[in-house]
Amino acid sequence: MANKPDLLPGTLDMLILKTLARAPLHGYGVALSIKRLSDDVLTVEEGSLYPALQRLLLQGWVKAEWKMTETKRRARFYTLTAAGRRQLGIELSQYEQMIAAIGRVLSDPKEA
Amino acid sequence: MSTLIQFLKKLWILLWRRKFLNELDEEMAFHRAQAAQEFIAGGMTPQAARAAAMRQFGNATKLREQSHQAVAFRVETVVQDLRFSIRQMLRSPGFAVTAVTTLALGIAANVIVFGVLQALVLRPLDVPNAGKVVSLQRSRNDTNFSYLEFRDIRDGQSVFSAVAADRVMDFGLDAIGATHPIWGYEVSGEYFEVVSIKPLLGRLLARADDDHPGAAEVAVLSWGAWKNYFNSDPAIIGKTVRLNKLPYTVIGVTPQGFYGTEKFLQPDVFVPMSNEAEIEKFNWLDGRQNHNIWAIARLKEGINLPQAQADLNTVASRITKQLPKEEAGLTIRVVRPGLLGDTFGAPARAFLVGIMALAGIVLLAACANLGGLFAARTADRTRELAIRMAIGSSRYRILRQVLTEAFLLALLAGLAASALGWAALSGLAAWRPPTSLPIQFAVLPQPSLIVAAGLFSFVAAVLFGIMPLRQILNADPNDAIKSGVGQSGAGRRWALRDILLAAQIALCCITVTAAFVALRGLGRSLNMELGFQPANAVRAQFDLAQAGYSSESAASFQRRLLAAASQLPGVEAIGYANSTPLAIDQSSTAVFSPETTDMRLTNLAFGAPDYSASPGYLAAAGTPLVTGRDVSFADTAKSPPVAIVNQEFGRRLFHTDQVIGRYFKTLSGRPVQIVGVVADGKYETLNEDPKPAIFFPIAQEGNTTTALVVRTHADPIGVTSRDMAAAIRKTILDLDPAIPIQESSVWSSQLGLQLFPARVATVALSLFGAFGLLLSITGTFGLASYSVTKRLRELSIRVALGAQAKQILATALGRMLVLLSIGSTIGLILGAAASRLLSAVVYQASALDPIVLGAVALTMLLTGLVSIVNPVRRALHIDPAGVLREQ
Repeated sequence: MANKPDLLPGTLDMLILKTLARAPLHGYGVALSIKRLSDDVLTVEEGSLYPALQRLLLQGWVKAEWKMTETKRRARFYTLTAAGRRQLGIELSQYEQMIAAIGRVLSDPKEA
Repeated sequence: MSTLIQFLKKLWILLWRRKFLNELDEEMAFHRAQAAQEFIAGGMTPQAARAAAMRQFGNATKLREQSHQAVAFRVETVVQDLRFSIRQMLRSPGFAVTAVTTLALGIAANVIVFGVLQALVLRPLDVPNAGKVVSLQRSRNDTNFSYLEFRDIRDGQSVFSAVAADRVMDFGLDAIGATHPIWGYEVSGEYFEVVSIKPLLGRLLARADDDHPGAAEVAVLSWGAWKNYFNSDPAIIGKTVRLNKLPYTVIGVTPQGFYGTEKFLQPDVFVPMSNEAEIEKFNWLDGRQNHNIWAIARLKEGINLPQAQADLNTVASRITKQLPKEEAGLTIRVVRPGLLGDTFGAPARAFLVGIMALAGIVLLAACANLGGLFAARTADRTRELAIRMAIGSSRYRILRQVLTEAFLLALLAGLAASALGWAALSGLAAWRPPTSLPIQFAVLPQPSLIVAAGLFSFVAAVLFGIMPLRQILNADPNDAIKSGVGQSGAGRRWALRDILLAAQIALCCITVTAAFVALRGLGRSLNMELGFQPANAVRAQFDLAQAGYSSESAASFQRRLLAAASQLPGVEAIGYANSTPLAIDQSSTAVFSPETTDMRLTNLAFGAPDYSASPGYLAAAGTPLVTGRDVSFADTAKSPPVAIVNQEFGRRLFHTDQVIGRYFKTLSGRPVQIVGVVADGKYETLNEDPKPAIFFPIAQEGNTTTALVVRTHADPIGVTSRDMAAAIRKTILDLDPAIPIQESSVWSSQLGLQLFPARVATVALSLFGAFGLLLSITGTFGLASYSVTKRLRELSIRVALGAQAKQILATALGRMLVLLSIGSTIGLILGAAASRLLSAVVYQASALDPIVLGAVALTMLLTGLVSIVNPVRRALHIDPAGVLREQ
């Protein structure tokens, strides 16, 4: 566990929004989904996941609803709102600009 | 907008913190359980899996706190905001005091009306399991049943655990060396089963006490009577008290706070109803037409109101089938107890709800007022806000500060309003209206009042706190700092505060309209043709049964009193009757046309209020005899029955004014000859439509209840009448000192009860109207001064360039006039619509009365003028050189 890389700062919200854009999930499902899709590379700590979900709720980017899981347990499911979808778009484009910029800096100028 | 929503969401979380935290806990527990299952699937034992999940998850409490903090207010910033708000208020104490006072009055109005509404309408009777107690009623306007009907209902129903009859009566109680007129209940034996209270001392009346007349001569005292008349004697049980001169044994005392089953009466004694004949000297237990009692019942467990109503419908139709003649068309309705069923309850409820709406309007107007002030202040702070934003404050932070200030003001106002409301309700609960009835309103303030005040304050704070929202959101640091003092936009566009002012004036205009409608109605009732002249007359009332008289001995006493009182100096006319029009105790006679032979109620022509009057009564009361003769002492039970009727009686029964010598029939089937006709009047209520009425000769049928009427010569100051009232009292007591005199005073003052609802309405509505006016004056004045100040520079330039006074005024205040007239017009229209609510209590309430419309328009015009006269003066006396040099 100790050697796993941390998430890039500022990307947690985007990852959660993207995950929820696929389907409404409960908190555990969000963590699991991020872990599986990243082939166990990215682990979302519970200590950051739940505060982040509350922040997103407050911003109105997701909404929450108590529902039954398939195993008949009550869980809070989060759904992306229209505002959340817009925000995801904004964050994705910012992220791409950032990655592209970092890429340009890191690439060897001689190769160009 | 989203900053505001976020603020409200945070506030929501703060208010429902427990729910919020519980949900977080549940969510995290779910997370741990899922993780544990994952581990189990991976081959761990359940125990090890749980431990691993816990380890991975970490400290749950800390996690919960982290999540909470992400969305909670930070304590430090809240304290900062509070400190800033207090500084802000201390910097402009005038604003703070105005704001708190305005808001406190607005909230207090709501709290007081809410308190009354709660006590009289919302709160059930103060008895155990009060939701199960209901009143039974004959029809919408008739609460009374006969005792026999009550017995049929009691024995025929299957939905109540107990059904009881009760009747409010006046008694003469001998205590502390005198006979006191008191009020009490005659109750059937089931009464205390229905209310199911526990006695403070002794026991309460039981079924055995009421089994048959004379079963038990026992009485239960109220806590108040025990305290006032018997000095809280702990050994009162078993002692004998004299009620109407009859010895009754005290068997119990009811607990403090039990006021019987009508919310506005406070009785002193409870006695078995079976003993009614010996107490009242008149037996009404056996007659089906003696509708004298109220019925109250307790639902059985598991029975709901529709089931009870269905059962009563069956009972009613069974009674009608058994007695088709006497009980034709009988209905029994289940109604809410406490306010005489729907008779008084329905209009009282409608009126209180209307007043509550008006109080809400006043609070809205106060919020609009403060919102305008807040918006204006924020406009002044544009530069400050811009600087704060430029150095890194967020809009959200600034909005929070404004809201904190609003909440602080609302909190102070809420505290003041609670104190005010508490004092007002305590005063109201201790107050007795001017009548001989023991009317007293159980409106003592409850702790829930503070909750209500808090709620009203919160709503108000949000309402006026968000007014400056747009300004804060639109504040552009660059723009504001560049252009210097916030000149931009002032007076160009229609600002939010303009709309607020118009809205506020409209709201205030509604309250003013309602006040004028009520005043006009009261004025009408005071000048109404009553059919008698209460001015310059004295009316003394007492019941000789309370001093132990029978109806025969009462008749001879009344004759002796008449002879003695006629000798008093200053008497112009004198007479007596068993009751007088508009007094509390009214009875009525069933009237049939002379051709009717089958005296069943379906053949009834109409019911008419009846009075038994002595010769001279009509002259003393000032009731004009139109034709025919007065009654005489020669019209006795042995001579042919005669009566005097009013003009409406003739019109209704014979469709003509020529009725002397004609006959009508009563329930007994005996024809009664009409010997005189008097002018129409008001008999039961001031609001009633013209009614037929009958005056029988008192010598024909004796009565112990006595209303002596003495007319004195005209005296505008009323000294003669007051002296006469005292002389009459003395004359009565000289003849028999044991008579408990209920009333001996100027007649007009005794009509207070009839005018009571209209007076209460007028006082309440006038207060609201005055408050509304005050708000519209301060609001208009504030905005007018503000716009003159804001545009001082522009106006100076105009003056310097040669603008005329008229042009200056049009520029500076033209918009104010437009706003005032728009607001007033809308308010007047709404007020006219709203005043229909008043028709339940106010005589001929209508806002479409030209006098009312004119008065409202004039008032609004005058207030408008008063509030802008000062700003106008300032605008006209601008010294352009001075202003331009300064800036």
